[in-house]
This record gives sequence, structure tokens and C-alpha cells, in this order.
Amino acid sequence: MGDPKEITTIQATTILISTIIGVGVLPLPLFAVRAGETSAPFVTLTGIFLAAVGLFILAYLGMRHPQKTIITYSQDIIGKWLGRIFSIFVIAFFLILTSLAAREFGAVVVTGVLRETPLEVTVIVMLLLASISCRNNINVFSYIHNFYVPMILAPVLIVVAFSLKNANLLYLRPIFLGNDLRGMAAGMLTVSALFQGSFIITMIIPSMKSPKKALKASFWGILISGGLYLLIVIATVAIFGPEEIKQIFWPTLELARTTAVPGNILQRLDIIFLAVWVLAVFTTLFSSYYFTIHSLKELFQLKDHKMLSYFILPFVFFLAMLPQNILHMYEIIQYIGRAGLLITIMYPAFLLIIDFLRSWRRGENVAKQT
Amino acid sequence: MWQNKHELIVVFLLFFLIPLLSGCWDSQEIEQRANVLALGVDKASEEERKKEDEISHLGKRIPIPDEEMIKVTAQIAIPGRIPLGPQQPGGSEKPVLVVEVVGHTLQDAMLNLQQEVADELFLGHLRIIVLSEEIARHGTARFNDFLRRNPEIRRTAALVVSKESAAKYMNLDPELERVPSLYLADMVDNLSAIGKFPPSFIGLFWSIFSSKGQEPYLPYLTVIEKTTIQLNGLAYFHGDKMVGKTNPLEIGIFMAVRGVGRGGYGAFITVPGKDESVLVRAVSRKTRTKVTLRNGRPHVSVKIQYESEIDEKESASIELSDSAILKKIEKEASKSTKKSIEKLIAKTQKSKSDIFGFGEHFRAKLPRYWDKHVKTKEKWDEIYQDITFDVSVDSHIHRVGMKSK
Repeated sequence: MGDPKEITTIQATTILISTIIGVGVLPLPLFAVRAGETSAPFVTLTGIFLAAVGLFILAYLGMRHPQKTIITYSQDIIGKWLGRIFSIFVIAFFLILTSLAAREFGAVVVTGVLRETPLEVTVIVMLLLASISCRNNINVFSYIHNFYVPMILAPVLIVVAFSLKNANLLYLRPIFLGNDLRGMAAGMLTVSALFQGSFIITMIIPSMKSPKKALKASFWGILISGGLYLLIVIATVAIFGPEEIKQIFWPTLELARTTAVPGNILQRLDIIFLAVWVLAVFTTLFSSYYFTIHSLKELFQLKDHKMLSYFILPFVFFLAMLPQNILHMYEIIQYIGRAGLLITIMYPAFLLIIDFLRSWRRGENVAKQT
Repeated sequence: MWQNKHELIVVFLLFFLIPLLSGCWDSQEIEQRANVLALGVDKASEEERKKEDEISHLGKRIPIPDEEMIKVTAQIAIPGRIPLGPQQPGGSEKPVLVVEVVGHTLQDAMLNLQQEVADELFLGHLRIIVLSEEIARHGTARFNDFLRRNPEIRRTAALVVSKESAAKYMNLDPELERVPSLYLADMVDNLSAIGKFPPSFIGLFWSIFSSKGQEPYLPYLTVIEKTTIQLNGLAYFHGDKMVGKTNPLEIGIFMAVRGVGRGGYGAFITVPGKDESVLVRAVSRKTRTKVTLRNGRPHVSVKIQYESEIDEKESASIELSDSAILKKIEKEASKSTKKSIEKLIAKTQKSKSDIFGFGEHFRAKLPRYWDKHVKTKEKWDEIYQDITFDVSVDSHIHRVGMKSK
């Protein structure tokens, strides 16, 4: 609490962007295509929309309680104990999310690039990096995100731009294929689950220079990251076609592998893409890790979060090692992701409604007294 | 001994960092890698089949019958002999090693190959895979799984069908390039860059093969003399099986219908009223494909606009000096192109091979019809057999070169 309030609106936006863009970019087209075939971009768009609603609710809640995070204001709104119980759920969820992101990262690296390296090593290296970085205060946290955002956005845009010469627009039609609405709804939930990192906004608002601009920051954050996700889905579907995407684990990585920079400069872009993607995964992991320990600190009303950083490391690592194989891992990720929407969207919406009711009643009481 | 705690920490940290210097698990020196540059796949002959040892399976415990065994010929780069710069003096030694193995599947063959090569096989530089016609006609799907699953394989590698045995291509010694497989791969890449073949690489082959409304195609090569390779046509597929090939000029026709903008082929067009002809070469094209339902039956109309150039006239008696004669040639060119297009479409209809991707147009533009009547690839192939079509070709000759007559 002693940190100066220095985070600007732009920094808040970049934190959101780099937190949202993470491991999810790789399997995203597969999730979207499984749900909607040629209407994958449409599924993605609805998913982004749902995620945006959740984010706006959070930002609005934060603006009503500009000094507090969801851990502390939930105790004001629904009572001390109920608030704490829900907060434990939130923290546990982000603990799981962190470990799954680390595991997914490890799975991609071990299958795609470093085939001899043990999975444990790639996971632990990433987690160590995150836990060491988490010992900084929230302003340093925002600088790190701010620094990496251009490096995350640019290469993805380059890959998409160069790949488009092989695009076949017929693969994108019909835009709305309405024969499996249930599947599409499930896909929408999976896609919006990829945006769960945006929950970090509740932790940033108390440290923002002007918390009133949180809504603006969330709007730009979701617009840029959502736009990028949509672009990736459109590009992969237009190039591979829905049927081919169903056969590939990480269509986005495959897109980078197929794309060459003209003039035989680089015959495949996957190495550049992966190097950048490591940064994107790191920032995502960093955020969810930071959120976990920061929330723990607030829940137990501790002064400092630094020592918690190494304390939770073994738990995260243990959780990351639980999935048996890559198929099992994606089953868990999709399940946890969808269930997590209860925590990241429904819970804040519930808080907001109660909060409205309370202030309305308070207003009525005041009116009665006068 | 240590003056303060700080120093102690620094020393400890240094020791801690030493293991990191050894590099990662995956580090491998380039000389210790067997870089496979090209693979040729043939059907194994009777005596070759007996050569297989029990490497990936014991005895007969494998569901694939011996008759379907394949012979894989790999071209492996020899370290130090691949020319890197433009000038490499005194290089008469062969830069590649050619090894032959047999196996039941592609991965089986690769495992057998590894058993014969000391260095670890590396497929990241694989540029071309040659399938003999016999293998292609038998079905290519059984190779796709291994190639897709292996992260080293590039999606941009070339896949071609050869008239002769694929092993012959691996032993070929082209003069234009030191490394034979690079010449083969360039053959495919460069020819599609100058409009002799539509874009073709293994990733594209897979995408087309997976999608429901089109059938894949591949370049068809043959060996002429001993060291020359010719692009002899386009192999077209039904499902994963090759069912026929076109002649080279029909590749141009195919590209026109498929909507590939870059033209490259020229054809003789008889000048109306005379017995002589001129060579008209397509420069670029524009294709519009429209799909409709006529009385519930699918109908395709293709409109192609040609932008052509006169390259050569056959005899001096043809006067190419006024625009009226160009108009006549244009008309004649349109007529003959239209005929060849209709012939080619009819030919592919007979073998149920929709290489033009008309089915994709139906799927994309008439989703209700597709959902009700087609849905699967097999069904579309049946329907494709008797779709009706009309073709209209519109040629324009804007250039005649540097000669005024």
C-alpha cells in the first residue's frame, strides 16, 4: 500500500494487452474452428464480446471502490466472511491458471522445439523467472509489461501480413454456419476464457493515477488484444481451411512455419515467432502469478508480498505437473477455463448488483432522514 | 577467508551458473547431424522386401501386408561438401550420400534408416519428397500422418509425383546445381514463380486434401536423357489416390480455371482464313466463378479474362500490321481455350477429381444446398461427376513485342 500511485492509463492498457495475449494464441484457432467451422471468426468475436462485458464490470466495480481490489471491496459488499471465502476461490483459480499456463508453455516447447529437454526444466525455468520478477512492486510490474508489448504485437502482425498471400477467402464462408449452436456457445466460452488474465485490472486500479480512466484502459486493452486474436483466427482459417485446422494442435505456430519472408531471407518464421511467444507467455504468467500473491497478501492483511513469491512456487509447480499428457492437459484447460468464467464474470457481476442495491438502499435511507 | 557476506554470495552465484554454460539438452553439432535433403518413395520389389530386419516390429506382428512395403531412398548431406558460397574450388566429390531402406510405413523406414546411419537424422532441411507414380496411385494418405506429426518437417517442402522410380531422382546428377535435391526443389518453386505451375507445397496439398469440396493436385515430373527433368504435367487425385495426369499445356488451362493470376503458357493459334498460326502466350488472367442451382442441380459458370501477348508468328505470310487481325486472333484464341477447358473439366469429371475446387464454391456460397445434399467429400465427388458447367473466355491481346509487322 505504500507504493506511490504512478500507473498511467496507457500503462494500464499495456498491462491488459500483454496479460491477455499468452499461451492461448497457439491453440485459439483450433478451439474456434472445432466450435464453429467456417464461422470460427464469429465464435471468436462473440467470445471477445463476452470477455469485454466481464472486464467492463470489473473496471466499473473498481471505479466505485478506487482504493481497493476485489479481495478487499468484496468484504465491504457482501460481508467479511463471505467475501473472504469467495476471495479464496479467486486466488485458488488464479493459482491453477498460472500452473496451467506454465504447463502449456512447457508442452509446446517440448513437442515443437526442444525435444530432448525435460518438461520439468522448461516449466520450472519459466516459473522461477516469474517468481523472481514478482518480488518487485507494482510500478516495476507495469514497466515490465509496458516494455514488452511492442515486441509481442509486432511479430504476430508480421507473420499474419506475410502469410496472407496464400489465403483463400472461400474458407471463411459461410460466415455464420448455424447448425451447431450448442457447440458454438461452448466455443464462445472457451474463447472468452482465454481472456481471463484481464482480471488483473482489479489489482491495478488502486495504483492508477486516475482510477476513473480504468474503463477507458479496459476498452483499449480488449480492443487491441481481441483484435489481434480475431486477426489470427481469420488468417489461419483463410490459409489452412477449417478441416485442416482440426488436425493441427497449434495452428498459429503452423502458420508461422508455413510463412516465409519473400526473397529467401527467412524460409520459415516459427523461430522468431516462438522467441516472441516466450515473452508473451512470460508476461501472462507474470501477471497471474503476481495477482495470486498480491491477493494472498491482501487476504491475510500482510505488509509485503515478496516472501510469498517463493512460497507458492512449489504449489504451482506441483499443479503444473498434474496433467498426464497433452490431450489430458487441453481437456483440463478447457474445463477449468469455462468453469472459471463463473469466477471471472459471474462473481463480479453478482458483486456489482449487490453493490448497486446497497447504495440504492443507502440513498433511500438518506432521503428518509432528510 | 571471505571478507564479507556479499562476496560469498557472488562466488556461490558463479558456481551456480556454471552448469548453465554446458548448453541445453538439445544442443547438437551440425557435423553430427544427418541432414536429410530429399526423400524418394517407391514400392518395394519382391527381393527388396526381404531386406527388412526386425527393427520396429517383431516378425509378422504388423497389420500392414508385405505387399504394401515401401522403399525409401534418402539423400543425406555430407558435412563439409555442401557448397556454401558461390565459389568452391575443386569440388568434384558428390555432396550427398544416397541410402536406400525398406519399411512398412514411412516412419518404419526412417527407423530402419537411422539404424544404418551413425548420426542422428534431421528432417528440418527436407526440401522435397518424390513419390513414384505407382505409390501415388496406391494412395498417399499413409505418409501424411508421420509428416504432419513430426515438428521438423516444413510445410513448405515440395511434394511431387514422378513417372520413373523415385530412387532414380535421388541418384540424379543435375549440372545446374551442385546439390541434386536443391535443384529438384528449385524446379518446383521457380516454375510456379514463372507461371508454369500453380503454387504447390506439401502444406497446401494437405489443406486441399482435408477440405471437403476440392481434390489435390501435384506436379508430375519425368526424367529426360540422364540429367534433365521435365515438368510433364499435373497429377490429379481422387481422395488420396492419384487418378490421372494432364499434359503440360493443360496445366495452363487448369491454372486459368483455378484462378491463378500469373500466366506462363503459350499456345499456337491458327490465324482465321489462313493455314498458318501465331504463338500466343498468356500474361495474366482473371477468373470469376459463379455457382448456381438450375432446377436443383448444381451448375458452374466460369468467366475468364485473358491478357495475352503474341510471341512469334510462324511464317512471313501472316500480316500482323493492323488491329483487325488481332481481334480475329483474340476470338480464335478464346474459342480454342474454351474448348480445352471444357475438355479438361470433362476429363476430371470422369475420374471424380474436382481439382478446380468448384465444391468449395458450393460449400461457401450455397451453404443450405451443401448441408442438405452434400455434407461429405465422398458425396461431393459423386455429384461432381455430373454437374453442368458453362465457360466463357475473353482474350485480349495488347502487346505484340518489338516488331511492327
